Amino acid sequence: MKTELLAPAGNLIKAKIALLYGADAVYIGGKKFSLRARASNFKLSMIQDLVDYAHQMQKKVYVTMNMVFHDEDTEGLEDYLLDLEKIGVDAIICSSMVVLEKAKALTNLELHLSTQFSLTNTYLANYFYDEGVKRVVLSREASLEEIKMIQSKSKADLEVFIHGGMCVSYSGRCTLSNYTVLRDANRGGCAHTCRWLYNLYKDETLISEDFDFQMSSKDLEAISYIRDLLDLGISSLKIEGRMKSIHYIATVVGAYRMLIDDYHAGCLRPIEAYQKEIKKAENRLTSKGFFEGDIGVEEQLYNARSEVPTKEFVGMVKSYDKKTKTLYIQQRNYFEPGDALEIFMPNQQFVQIKPKKIYDEENVALDAARHPLQTIKVYCPIDIEAQSLVRKII
Amino acid sequence: MNIVVRIKNQEEIKHLADLGADVFLLDTDVITTKAIYPLEQNSMSHVIEKIKKINKKVYIFINKMIHETDLQILNNWLFFLKTQDVDGLVINDFTVYVMARDNDLSDKIIYQPGTMNTNAYDVIYLKDKIKGMTLSKEITLDEMKAMMDSSSDIEYSLLGHGYIDMFYSKRKLIKLYSQHKDLENFQTHGKEFTIEEKTREGIFYPILEDNHGTHIFRDKKLESFNEVKHLPFHDLFLERLFMDDQEYFDAIRTYHGQLSPKDFLDQYGQEYHKGFFYTRTEKTKGEKNEN
Repeated sequence: MKTELLAPAGNLIKAKIALLYGADAVYIGGKKFSLRARASNFKLSMIQDLVDYAHQMQKKVYVTMNMVFHDEDTEGLEDYLLDLEKIGVDAIICSSMVVLEKAKALTNLELHLSTQFSLTNTYLANYFYDEGVKRVVLSREASLEEIKMIQSKSKADLEVFIHGGMCVSYSGRCTLSNYTVLRDANRGGCAHTCRWLYNLYKDETLISEDFDFQMSSKDLEAISYIRDLLDLGISSLKIEGRMKSIHYIATVVGAYRMLIDDYHAGCLRPIEAYQKEIKKAENRLTSKGFFEGDIGVEEQLYNARSEVPTKEFVGMVKSYDKKTKTLYIQQRNYFEPGDALEIFMPNQQFVQIKPKKIYDEENVALDAARHPLQTIKVYCPIDIEAQSLVRKII
Repeated sequence: MNIVVRIKNQEEIKHLADLGADVFLLDTDVITTKAIYPLEQNSMSHVIEKIKKINKKVYIFINKMIHETDLQILNNWLFFLKTQDVDGLVINDFTVYVMARDNDLSDKIIYQPGTMNTNAYDVIYLKDKIKGMTLSKEITLDEMKAMMDSSSDIEYSLLGHGYIDMFYSKRKLIKLYSQHKDLENFQTHGKEFTIEEKTREGIFYPILEDNHGTHIFRDKKLESFNEVKHLPFHDLFLERLFMDDQEYFDAIRTYHGQLSPKDFLDQYGQEYHKGFFYTRTEKTKGEKNEN
């Protein structure tokens, strides 16, 4: 079985971009039963659109229903499950028994166990397989050695996180947000209390300095371990981040797609080449997470620094006129004539241009592209795919 | 209702029983996190015997998250516990249930994951599998009642008193910080640490690190003197961490009826609260509690 690259999507455009840029599947949240409350804006009609789009590409759509259900949350659950089955989603991702059992009783939906259950061993993976769960998402606390051991004995397919944010707590077990701001961390309201600034005291003696005791984790970046995971035959490699931008999703998905394709083609490049590509959109410091076992200082984020992406997303290609060699770009961020632009295409090809002049749709020459969503025309001698990303080289 | 207590040493067992303790929750030396009095198997046998001699019950606390590398250790412990006269195994990770089931111990299991037992369907799923379930710490009393009304075929319990934990990380956060700051010979395991959030000055959350990771607790202690009178809990767990001995003893006496809640709260009440018994949390990042 070929390993799947699974990407997050907070809306329909992001989902399509993720699929276009190389994801084999996307996971999304509906409006009610998902954890990423703000990112979960898929109405049923949009899920249908996405499923149709993905299936035309022989790709898959999974729907997250991974909140920890209270009794009040179960209203409408049965109808929703039936709707998802009717739409033809490829699986649901859940952690509450009420969802698992009702889905089994009412539908033939494929079931994946969410990382909210913090599953870290074969025994539990096989239990859930026997309960009808086809795939389990491993806890981010599992090391590569543990993943190897679980993969060798698990009856369930394994899904492993390879990129993105990490809970500092075991997932599903934290109520910091509940207690500090009355927002339920396990029902979509997490306030990221673990990322705030703290002082540390021993007895009554202040140990820290000016609230520099921090618990934040750097984001996960598992580029160095993809080869191992592919060797093992892990079913799915998962990227986190349903709140992330189009540029981030396309770039990160594209980098991992390149790596996986290179692996299968037997022509892996140096790891730094893929890492360099990710840095074009990554705005948080990254680390290897728990892949090597226990966490060290290098995996923690102590000074709240953010990385500056090496490329700025300035537009998306709407179309290309071969006859006039004109590129139509939908503006997303400010750029000027003379800026060096890199165009990143869904087929993983790159083109660099430095247009001396830019025009609006009325062919008026502009001194800058200032207005979001404005169509900008530039000369480009090379045929460019629609929905390519245009980045300014900083 | 059984009053379930934790011990600091063997010598106090009789005293705690005299105060009203019905069940003693014992820590293992390797698969218990937040342990107060960790016991290896030989010592545990001795302590179990001591408790049984005074006709009290014994629960074993197996609350570590079970990683692949812990499976053999867990199996060894369950094999040992099968030979012991224990009345319950209080577990956090559902893996322990699955392995206990395979060792014919599932009727001892009390599932206490902290956050996962939140609806009546959880009751239906668990009631024919295990002995008991501890209702989640972040749900309201009304939600607890609805769950308990859904079936009487399982023993319900409440973690109802003391400093309640709200965070369990595999990361050793105090140790990592001490390394980050180059604090030499800094002892990171101990019950004397607190953290204070920048915008909440004067509020101190206990933080505890051990070999299994880090736990953070609420700043105030939970009490449920009135609440437990109205719901048919089988077991009431009294957390002892960070609490003075005398206060813990008085709490046991109060739940046992030897001391009035008013007298207890008059003496210790300023540091107590009602948790989420009457407070609902929001599901989404709405306006009301936006930070």
